[in-house]
Amino acid sequence: MPSELKQSYRLGVDIGGTFTDIVLLSESGEIHTKKLLSSPPDYSEAIEVGVRDLLREVRVDCTQIREFIHGTTIVTNTIIERKGSPIALVTTRGFRDILELGRFRAPSLYDSSFRKLEPLAERRLRFEVTERVAADGSVLRPLVEEELEGIAGAIAREGIGSIAICFINAYANGANEAAAARRLRELLPGVSISTSSQLLPKIQEYERTSTTAVNAYVRPVAERYLDSLQKRLAGLGITCDLMIMQSAGGCVPGKVAAENPIYIVESGPAAGVVGAQRLSGRLGVGDIMVVDVGGTTAKASLIEDGAFTVATESEVGGSAAMGHRLIQGAGYAVQAPTIDIAEVGAGGGSIAVVDDAGGLRVGPRSAGAVPGPVCYDRGGEQPTVTDANLFLGYISPTKLVGGELKLNKAKAEKVVSDLAARLGISPVDAAYGIHLIANSNMMRALNGVSSERGRDPSGYTLFAIGGNGSVHGTKLADDLRMNTVIVPPASGVFSALGLLFADVEHQVIRTYYRRVTEIDPAELSLMLEEMVAEARRLLADGGFPEGRQDIKLVAEVRYFGQQTTLPIALPGTRITQEELEKCSTDFAEAHRLNYGYDSPHEKVQIVSLKVLGRGLADTPRVPERLVSQRSSDAAVERRPVYFGPEHGWMDTPVLPRAALTAEPRPGPMIIEEYESTSVVRPGWSAAVDAFSNIVMRRIV
Amino acid sequence: MPAAATMKADPVKRELIKNALVTIADNMIALVIRTSRSIVVKNNLDFSASILNAKGEMVAQGLSLPGHLGATEPALRGCLEHFGEDIRPGDILCNNDPYSGASHLNDVFMFRPVFVEEKLIGFLSIIIHHTDMGGRVPGGNAPDSTEIYQEGLRIPPLKIMEANKPNETLLRIIRTNVRVSDMVVGDMLSQMSSLVTAETELRRVIDDYGMETVKFYMSELIDHAERLTRQGIAALPDGTGEFTDWIDEDGVGGPPVRIQVRLTVKGDSAEIDFTGTSPQTSGAINPNRYFAVGLSLAVLRTVLDPSIPANAGFNRCVRVITPEGCFVNPRFPAPVGARGLAGFRVRHAVSGALAMLLPGRVGACVGGSEFALVLAGYPAGRKPFLTLEFHNVTGIGGGPDRDGQDGGPYGLANIANVPVEVIEAEGPVRVECYAFLPDTGGAGRYRGALGLVREYRLLEEEALIQLRSDRQVNPPYGLFGGHPGSPGKIIMNPGTPEERVAPAKFIGKMKHDEVLRAEMPGAGGYGNPLDRDPRAVAEDVRQEKISPAKARDIYGVVLREPEQALDIEATRALRAEMQRRAESAAPTGKAGQP
Repeated sequence: MPSELKQSYRLGVDIGGTFTDIVLLSESGEIHTKKLLSSPPDYSEAIEVGVRDLLREVRVDCTQIREFIHGTTIVTNTIIERKGSPIALVTTRGFRDILELGRFRAPSLYDSSFRKLEPLAERRLRFEVTERVAADGSVLRPLVEEELEGIAGAIAREGIGSIAICFINAYANGANEAAAARRLRELLPGVSISTSSQLLPKIQEYERTSTTAVNAYVRPVAERYLDSLQKRLAGLGITCDLMIMQSAGGCVPGKVAAENPIYIVESGPAAGVVGAQRLSGRLGVGDIMVVDVGGTTAKASLIEDGAFTVATESEVGGSAAMGHRLIQGAGYAVQAPTIDIAEVGAGGGSIAVVDDAGGLRVGPRSAGAVPGPVCYDRGGEQPTVTDANLFLGYISPTKLVGGELKLNKAKAEKVVSDLAARLGISPVDAAYGIHLIANSNMMRALNGVSSERGRDPSGYTLFAIGGNGSVHGTKLADDLRMNTVIVPPASGVFSALGLLFADVEHQVIRTYYRRVTEIDPAELSLMLEEMVAEARRLLADGGFPEGRQDIKLVAEVRYFGQQTTLPIALPGTRITQEELEKCSTDFAEAHRLNYGYDSPHEKVQIVSLKVLGRGLADTPRVPERLVSQRSSDAAVERRPVYFGPEHGWMDTPVLPRAALTAEPRPGPMIIEEYESTSVVRPGWSAAVDAFSNIVMRRIV
Repeated sequence: MPAAATMKADPVKRELIKNALVTIADNMIALVIRTSRSIVVKNNLDFSASILNAKGEMVAQGLSLPGHLGATEPALRGCLEHFGEDIRPGDILCNNDPYSGASHLNDVFMFRPVFVEEKLIGFLSIIIHHTDMGGRVPGGNAPDSTEIYQEGLRIPPLKIMEANKPNETLLRIIRTNVRVSDMVVGDMLSQMSSLVTAETELRRVIDDYGMETVKFYMSELIDHAERLTRQGIAALPDGTGEFTDWIDEDGVGGPPVRIQVRLTVKGDSAEIDFTGTSPQTSGAINPNRYFAVGLSLAVLRTVLDPSIPANAGFNRCVRVITPEGCFVNPRFPAPVGARGLAGFRVRHAVSGALAMLLPGRVGACVGGSEFALVLAGYPAGRKPFLTLEFHNVTGIGGGPDRDGQDGGPYGLANIANVPVEVIEAEGPVRVECYAFLPDTGGAGRYRGALGLVREYRLLEEEALIQLRSDRQVNPPYGLFGGHPGSPGKIIMNPGTPEERVAPAKFIGKMKHDEVLRAEMPGAGGYGNPLDRDPRAVAEDVRQEKISPAKARDIYGVVLREPEQALDIEATRALRAEMQRRAESAAPTGKAGQP
């Protein structure tokens, strides 16, 4: 029979550090999941295997797949493993070393062993050309094109396949860069060229050069990978477009992502936040904090009135365990918009140590996936948070990943007891201490998006995802005085599900560096019109006609001289004097909300403009209901679980998600499923809703 | 609830309360970073936030500039001496007077006392380096002031907030006396706002754990840091290291300033003795005692476990001797505004002494001339402008086992450069170049980082220029046979008939289209250059970081045209010859610089 009578399905695939997570979602909301080890160096192989096996298991035909969205760590992996394409950089005369000089910022004080990453283009492959643009965009010296001939010769001799072009002040006028790109394309046909003014015309030469260099370095790898993936999918019979998640929370066609990989650095984590935002939107919950706890890090983000915040820059290749969360310098700067996520080095693999003076510390060092916690029995010798959680009865020694991962509880108990002896406390106090200290570290990520920005966490719902998010969720909520915790279906592979809730979104960004009082409204309107036209063209190219385009305009605004901007919505492209004034008052209000005060004497400045063009899908992205097919209906068991000195060890029921109903059931209890465990502490209740979310509420 | 006196320290609770307190300090800092307008705050991280106990001892610090490590407690002491019992809920105390415990005038210290049930629990503190505090020159960094009265507005211990109301009188006095007053007062509002927010958070911690418990751990955390520090120092070998470094001149034509350091480790404590250092100068580059102490402690931290909490417990283990009237402990009314430069030299000298005590653990001197530039003007009919730039450090010195990284950041200053495009967008200046200078890194078995060049062209009719730099006579030192980095140089209008060499420090005028070229020193090398791996030398030539001539003359490495291929045989012969010549020549080298 024709396949249109069968159900259609959507596939979300997220590649994290170690695992490839696959979610298959039917039109009617059934969720099927699959978790398997990734297959470096060609990550597309595990995707092919996993997708094929999952479709076979659930008897779905490849022709029923009408959407494939992918979250990938290819940019970070390429940078960390140094597997990118060797690049050449073409810069303005006098500025050959911008990329290597960087910003002179160390991510930690006192640590004399710190070395920043080596530049992506070595000095001999950084070429200067004569040209100059002024800060106002006027061309002081046109490009001397003849100089490019010698440069092209050198690039050809070295066999370099990718070039980055970044000139001083090109954010204000990209004409000289465009001329250089044109000439180099003639001289070096087939070589990939990334141009800063075309890629992301934002002020600050080091950050823009670094962004362009990262793009040039990763682009050939990203192109090969996505091409290979598309072919493998086609081989399976999946013919829909390959879509890729961007760091800012929308997806774009694979070809666009491959040419501009800087926009997809935080693809997976962004999918988790978008998923949380869309799903909580359906529940009518507007203010949530998302906590995503994995093996090495805890990530937090804030959703307010149904919207997340987007930061204007990030870094790639650094480590959350390195230095201080508030200073940069550990990785390469990338100016692409990225969902604002605070990250700290605290997860299941975080190692507990006793310091020289008998103090207990947890993390940021992590046992990672290899050797992993002691209880994995793969050579780990130092107690980790997971070992403590096993000791306390929070996680099962036999049920992880549907029983595929067996844990050695005796070993975990031994290392925790040894640590306790060194501290002079009882083993259970040590285990609970590790759990609490890990919590207090995770809390620093949550603080980073709440109290640090003038928000009181108690007004928010905690949305717990990642393999360890729901183990720590109710305790985190207790400590932050939050009253509700939501654990969504497929919470352990939630980013893969979140991918499927995202819309297609194109971002057009320009620098517009002016004090508000000095802006010519006509000039600003013209610029916005051009940007909107560009966004509409990109959407139309992707198959979204005028009627299915949603356009939003945002100005990044600050007090003159500030470091950080706040995004302020603009009503449309026609800007009048009144609207400029409103932009200033909106900014003052946002500043008050975020920082506790505003400063009426000071000058307000626009730094950049952003147009977001969203393609509106013809069906709702989140189905009417969600049903997790992995929930087993195993019988209710009991085991002793420790909830701190105030409760002691409690004989606690252990049940699958499917055993919960809409009727709240009082804790304590442990809810076990394929990829995660939820701990419901005493004083909390748990129920499930129509979307299979576990909803935990404080009852005392 | 047991009384504090009978409480026993619990390792879990201590860590939890420490995390809670550090989070509060971090939150204060996050707010300051995000909202500050001052370039000094944004790019130089020139601020600190901390929590002190009721006795005024520092318990926990957020991210902080090393120079503030030693100054927070004395500045609070200055306030406590003045106000005595007259400190109440809702107050914020402030102080920027170096002669009341503060540091230099731009560093405004603010303290928020926190009371529970009318009992003082402790203080929250934020220090910010404000862009301007009035005085003779913009930015307050004039090296040629001769008394503190010239340097700007002194705020003795005062209440800038009382009963949660800002002290409008004081704020008006500040607003009237400082340049770019919107910026300065805006940053002060942000400083106060952060303190008020932090009080709410500290109260929450007290609610969670109880007042007596929090009070107990606000002492216990200090004791714990002291125990960790003593363990760390005890693991270092006992002994003494001595070192001398120099400042070329004091900015008012005085003689070179000698910084003499004798660092002794004995058992579980250390002593850093500045006896032998030059007397205070008549210029404004004297660092005061607290600044010198803070920086000395920071250098010592680099050889200890970086995770030891930076609180009063660390300071208890180290005695710093600064004879009164010497350069690092000047008498009233000595000016201290331009002490930043000397602060670097204090770090370099203490680091050198540490290298003598612990050979094989500490690298040669970082590069840089402590270059600081202010360009300011009030053109008729146009916006006034003020461009402020610091390029203190250019890169890392050669180490015992690896090269100093070119363009490597220095964790003991951590000052970011200002983007060229931001300078050009905000002021009438064009930066003509910003790049490495080949052949400027100190030669050695492990090479020092390259020096830098930066050129500024003035686009307005006229500007006041105030320049501070050093290291033209005494370049960044090498160690154990390594060469020093290149000296600094300032050139006006290079490549034109008006080209001339300018002094390292001056205040003057710059005219339209004039160019100032700053050549900043490279870092020192470590070990004999003839022991450097010839392949590393060849690679430096290939990257155009050193010239073939230097490769031959200093490293004894012979490269062949056209591809600059390494000639191993010729290199071996040349090195043997150079070694012979060196051995027959008389030994050279300054005291303290082996």
